[in-house]
Amino acid sequence: MNAFYVINILVYAAVDAMACLGLNQQFGVAGVTNFGFIIFQAAGGYAAAILALPHDTANGGFQSYIGGWNLPFPLPWLGAAVAGGLVALPFAFLFGRRLRGDFAAVGLLVTAVLLNLLVTNYRPLLNGDAGLSLIPTPLRGQNMFSVESLGYEWVFTAGIIVLAVCVFAFLRRLTESPYGRSLRAMRDNDVVADSLGKNLLSMRTAMLVTGGAVAGLSGGILVTYITTWSPAEWGYAETVVLFAAVIIGGAGNQWGAVLGAVLVPVGFEEVTRYIPTSNNLPPNLIPSLEWVAIGVLIIGFLWFRPQGVLPERKRVIAVAAPAARRATGWQSDATPPLSVPETREVGGDGRQQNASGTSPRPVPQPTAGEGERARGDSGSPGSLTSAGVVLEAVGLSREFGGVRAVNDVSFTVRQGTLTGLIGPNGAGKSTLLAMLAGTLPVSSGKVVYLGQDVTSVPAFRRARMGLVRTFQLASEFKRLTVMENLVSSVQRNRGDSFFGAMGGRRYWGADEAAAVVRASALLERFGLADHANSYAGDLSGGQRRLVEIMRALMAEPRMLLLDEPMAGVHPHLARRIGNELVALCAEGMTILMVEHELAIMDEFCDPVVVMAEGAVLAEGTMQQLRGRQEVVEAYLVG
Amino acid sequence: MSADVTLRGLPLRAEGITAGYGGDPVIRDITVSADPGQVVSLVGPNGSGKSTLLKSLVGIVRVSSGTVTVGGRQVTNMAPEEIARAGVGYVPQVDDVFGPLTVRENLEMGGYLLRRGEVAGRIDKVLTVFPRLAGMVGRGAAKLSGGERKMLAMGRVLMLDPGLFLLDEPTANLAPAIAIALLEEHVRGLAAGGAAVLIVEQRAKAVLAISDHTYVLGGGEVRMEGTPAELSVSPEFVESFLGGRARPVGSAEG
Amino acid sequence: MTLFLASVGFGLVTASVLAIASVGFTLQFGVTDVLNLAYGAVMILSAYVAYQVNAQGISVWIGLLAAVAAGSLASVVLNGVIYTPFQRRGATPTTMVIVSLGMTLIIEFGVAAVAGGVGVSYAMGNGPTFRAGGLNLTGVQLIVMVLAVVVMAGVHVLLRYTKLGKAMRATAANRTLARNCGIRTGRVITATWAVTGALCGLAGTVFAIDAGSFDASSTDLFLVLILAAVFLGGPGQAYGAMLGALVIGLATEVSAVFIPADYKYVIAFVALLIMLGVRPTGLLGARP
Repeated sequence: MNAFYVINILVYAAVDAMACLGLNQQFGVAGVTNFGFIIFQAAGGYAAAILALPHDTANGGFQSYIGGWNLPFPLPWLGAAVAGGLVALPFAFLFGRRLRGDFAAVGLLVTAVLLNLLVTNYRPLLNGDAGLSLIPTPLRGQNMFSVESLGYEWVFTAGIIVLAVCVFAFLRRLTESPYGRSLRAMRDNDVVADSLGKNLLSMRTAMLVTGGAVAGLSGGILVTYITTWSPAEWGYAETVVLFAAVIIGGAGNQWGAVLGAVLVPVGFEEVTRYIPTSNNLPPNLIPSLEWVAIGVLIIGFLWFRPQGVLPERKRVIAVAAPAARRATGWQSDATPPLSVPETREVGGDGRQQNASGTSPRPVPQPTAGEGERARGDSGSPGSLTSAGVVLEAVGLSREFGGVRAVNDVSFTVRQGTLTGLIGPNGAGKSTLLAMLAGTLPVSSGKVVYLGQDVTSVPAFRRARMGLVRTFQLASEFKRLTVMENLVSSVQRNRGDSFFGAMGGRRYWGADEAAAVVRASALLERFGLADHANSYAGDLSGGQRRLVEIMRALMAEPRMLLLDEPMAGVHPHLARRIGNELVALCAEGMTILMVEHELAIMDEFCDPVVVMAEGAVLAEGTMQQLRGRQEVVEAYLVG
Repeated sequence: MSADVTLRGLPLRAEGITAGYGGDPVIRDITVSADPGQVVSLVGPNGSGKSTLLKSLVGIVRVSSGTVTVGGRQVTNMAPEEIARAGVGYVPQVDDVFGPLTVRENLEMGGYLLRRGEVAGRIDKVLTVFPRLAGMVGRGAAKLSGGERKMLAMGRVLMLDPGLFLLDEPTANLAPAIAIALLEEHVRGLAAGGAAVLIVEQRAKAVLAISDHTYVLGGGEVRMEGTPAELSVSPEFVESFLGGRARPVGSAEG
Repeated sequence: MTLFLASVGFGLVTASVLAIASVGFTLQFGVTDVLNLAYGAVMILSAYVAYQVNAQGISVWIGLLAAVAAGSLASVVLNGVIYTPFQRRGATPTTMVIVSLGMTLIIEFGVAAVAGGVGVSYAMGNGPTFRAGGLNLTGVQLIVMVLAVVVMAGVHVLLRYTKLGKAMRATAANRTLARNCGIRTGRVITATWAVTGALCGLAGTVFAIDAGSFDASSTDLFLVLILAAVFLGGPGQAYGAMLGALVIGLATEVSAVFIPADYKYVIAFVALLIMLGVRPTGLLGARP
């Protein structure tokens, strides 16, 4: 076996592995499906070329291109990475739009083809169809007649492999961090990640630029190895090959990306050498069959093994031991369920019946540790009013195209209460909840939280102030474990940023450990500690509801807005959830809960607010409300 | 509509239906039935599984256990088009017309299974039931008002003159006066014509007035059933409708 | 001026080929919700079938019938064996794109493997040339235009006046409701792919006739024109595709009068990107 042959394979393997790692970072980890990926590699290749080449009048002037500054190594490679990253920037704005996945894919593919067309036809730019050639090799200057020595080639190859390993390590550090977890959360459910306060635009931009720089570097390296670069090297077919490599190797797994690079671009190239050539066969038969084989592999893997040869690894996080938890002041034994409250006497009409200001259950004084927790580490102080009001709706209204979904609603929620919000279909409950949470803007009126007007504060910032909502539909991150789901919703973790991740475990380890401790306590309390390291998508519906609630609790809220937490849940589990919510309120939490299951209201909620046709109808315990004619009418008339 | 009640209508027997959308079941062990000439109503709060039950009867939602028979014939988990061919007419709550098609074309689709010569005649018959539609046969269905859409949705299902009607909240978003009229004239009229009618409704009071039998659903189960006369004098009716019940949540499991 | 008129003539021919192709593509999307990116590959496959027939000494117009049958069969198999199973499994639109790209590779390079990489042409005359003003069209080009008009009329009649056509529109609008009417939507979808596949085969052959010589990769760029026409008119809208084809066909050819011919497709690319960015439902579709 020829030494040059081995070097050839190694160089291509390293370059393709880099490109695949970059694509995997965007597509497999962050869920940014970028069908224009090849453009970044092309940009890097051209950048390295025009930086390294002399002015285009040199070498007989048969090429025509911009640039040509004859810069020494390693500037062309640096330029290649920078070019790849810069070209990726505008793409960031394409991905925010709510365009169907397939439409977006078409747009990106077409962009790649369009750029290829422009470069091919506009010769003065980058020498058009013929491409650039005679690109100087690093540290040797350019001499097209000298064959590099074997020693040089080995050093070059070793250097490239080292670079590839560095890229691997860099991306690994980025991904195996709280930031990487947020990327994967964005991939699994970007809407929910957004509501938890993750900055989607910033993450997508960072991944596009990072992947772009890596792709650009791979292009730059390739260019200086093969000393030419033309549009033929980067047609749309190359993007398909790279996607095939990442899918087959295993999307979301860095070793999978490397394996895919070895199997697909490199493997196919090499396999043809071993097929006996015959003059009887048409010359394009083997290459054509290669493409057919790639197509068959893509479809075969997508059908039989979409996770690839090396699927994404599960990140297992050990549940913190009880001793560690006790040290931080958390109770580890579950609070026993409280009994059903007695009916209260009430006078006058149902509204504002909490005039006495006391809630129906005894509120035990929180211990020092829990008191800290209940206040949370939210930045803004905020405080209860003297009557203990946490949240107040003042004349809230919401209009949709002439229809008033919510009509001048006012009520208050006191600390330590588990308040229910009920009403027939179309009453406006979910709309009201969304306005209180900040996920829907108000048409008029105010939302006052802890004495502060938060009407124009966005949802994720309200969450940071301690006002947290849950969602109706399944909103867990399916390909994150339960523990990861919980830990990812912590508001402050030093590792949850690009540069924080680069700091490594030494930098963010403490924050992470603290989050794990809190998550472990919640898991124990809600009885899901055994499932801590199961994928959230594998749990039953009721268990996923618990995860949703625990995740909201991880944000250290002072008040929870729950949107139908028991919907579709088995009655037995619904009762457990109800008990837990009551226990939380006993510890100082405030909860406002929309529910249809009126039996739950009966057992756990006091007070209960009834809405109908966008307005508040009445307020009281379920027992009282059932005795009120207008409430019965609202439900029966519909 | 023919006058022979017993031959025309198709009785419905749904027994022990448990169904859901893939994960946990939404409805558990539900048994309902409707006979020809009867209006049977399903009431209950949102999320109680009423729509899911209807969808499971017409093959849109998978039944994991239980049986559905129509006119004595087993139709559990059959494809929706086959259930329609078995004489079942279903009007969904939303997405109930073909938006890009005209009113006339919507009715033609309703009469897809008819022989070519019969279609025009049936369209004329349906238009006499809903005269307002006659003036807009060429209009696109997406351009109709809410009430007109509902009429078209009902008209569409009338084309095949089914023996069993399954109606999912036909009065949703209609003004109360029109809603009452729809229920009293048209829905009651379907049963008078010999068909069996199973209707889901939010407007419990209004639908009770036209029902022969009513089931109260809650939390995916049947909480109560009876004739409107029985129910209206029962204190438990209001209780169960508004969630209170003899047995508290989950006590069966202890 | 004569140059302009001549380019209008070319534009009308291109628009004719494009119209036949785009209507088929858009109906496939409308009824099945799949962007069949392998459409170009099936086109060229059918063109080769016609070539094989033609190479036996038979008139290319008979070969065209064989191509229509081939396109129809291939499309029905493509949807039945590949697209439908993936959709039943709940594949996302992005996954379907990758699947259709995979099928493009298989079909296009399968054809290349069998047919060889050399360009081929049909053995046929061009017929008499007709001049009017600056317009300069051969008999064959006129036949292509007439075919396009006939196809458009046929599609119109199918969709507006036949039971199958209305069932297709109903299935595209609301598949579940169509099933509730007793329509066997599975069969309607198969019939849709048979009809649109026939259009695909026809389009492939007239494309090859118009191009003169062709090889397995000839329709790669043409697919972008199809996408531009489809998205201009609105994906799933048959009349939109006709309108889009006219606009794109004329625009690309007429632009060649004003800008270098190598760039004439750029107009189509840019139009497509603008539509995707600004109004993905197309000019004739509903507001997004």
